Amino acid sequence: MKPSKEELERRNIVGVGAERVTNVTSTDYPGHFPGEDHAWDLGYFRDNVTIEFHKNEPLEAEFSLIGVDASIANAFRRMMIADVPTFAIETVHMEKNTSVIQDEVLSHRLGLIPFKGGKTGFRKFMKFYKKPEDGEEHSYVDFNTIQLSLNVECTHNKKAAKNETDVTKLYNHAHVYASDIEFNPVGRQEQYFSGDNAIVPVHPDILIAKMRPGQQINCSLLMHKGVGSDHAKFSPVATASYRLMPTIKIKSPILGEDAKKFQKCFPKGVIELQTVTRKESKEEGPFKGKEGEWKAVVVDPMRDTVSRECLRHDEFKDKVELGRKRDHFIYSVESTGQWRSDEIFLEAVALFKEKAKKFEHQVINMAR
Amino acid sequence: MSSEQYQVPTGSGSQAPGGSRNFDAEPPTAMHYLCGDCATRVRLEKGQPIRCGSCGARVLYKERTKRMVQFEAR
Repeated sequence: MKPSKEELERRNIVGVGAERVTNVTSTDYPGHFPGEDHAWDLGYFRDNVTIEFHKNEPLEAEFSLIGVDASIANAFRRMMIADVPTFAIETVHMEKNTSVIQDEVLSHRLGLIPFKGGKTGFRKFMKFYKKPEDGEEHSYVDFNTIQLSLNVECTHNKKAAKNETDVTKLYNHAHVYASDIEFNPVGRQEQYFSGDNAIVPVHPDILIAKMRPGQQINCSLLMHKGVGSDHAKFSPVATASYRLMPTIKIKSPILGEDAKKFQKCFPKGVIELQTVTRKESKEEGPFKGKEGEWKAVVVDPMRDTVSRECLRHDEFKDKVELGRKRDHFIYSVESTGQWRSDEIFLEAVALFKEKAKKFEHQVINMAR
Repeated sequence: MSSEQYQVPTGSGSQAPGGSRNFDAEPPTAMHYLCGDCATRVRLEKGQPIRCGSCGARVLYKERTKRMVQFEAR
């Protein structure tokens, strides 16, 4: 016995009321509906999953992942935040710091600077650094540690005009920027990270410290590959989040001035005002004799923020039904620049696969 | 870096704790401080009054260590 199309749609929509959400849990698993088989099937899954990109820029991507359960969607989100590796400064050897910013604070700031470098070197050559146990010697080698240095001294600029008040012109190095950090390749790093593949800060104009003449910062920095679950500085994303696709169902037509008011209840572009056509006004139904009047039409529910404003007005209360599609996830991924934003998602998928394989192995071992 | 390098103290194990030390090997008699008022480097001998030579201020600050300090960027 197959459920009707309407029934399937009803199951797939989370209701959004003025003060509550309904139909929250998913029901597509075996044994929930008598006579229906909801066992997981690879072929069915393959046919039903779709990914659709709405925006794909190096630093920002927005895409829909349709046809998966919330647990899978959430796993991808979490892995993008906490499991995709990047470079970040981990240890600072401070030789001299006479600037006003304290050593600890400066170190912390340095740690948060995103760096990029050759991808092959990053993927294939660089390994994770393992922190030494108590009593063990640290093991810094070319495939787990990248050496950088920051050596800047603030001096008076002799060429500056006499009545100059701009400190960046009056002094040399009044502002220390991320671009002042030098990369010192060691060993085989030369062949992986040179030329365009050199390790540089993603944004060269990040302000690190401010100085005045006579002040100086000398330090060497050690950078490792790491993951976001260890520290947020290793996270490749600024934000990675998803929301469910909103649905707006107009149950009975909203016409005239009401339509204009209804349009204002939503963000721009969600509702469009169209005129009732002659054909519609001739037919039996709600539009009869209403030719030329405005009617509200849903054109782009994705832009809705689901503010539920329309449910506050009595005239719309029973005419509209808000909801969200349970299996339609609109991701928004904002990269910090070390990966392209779409690469982060692909990387998360690859990691997910790897983890699943490891888990499978363990389950097999367990059953033995 | 300045000309004077930091000397790692080399305490030989043979000396009894609290006993007399061998001061023949040039004991550090002078220290450098920074004036709190005019920020010049002030050299002070042992027993000298704590005072800046150039401006006379009585507040002096200790210089930053010449040793390398390690921090975690966290």
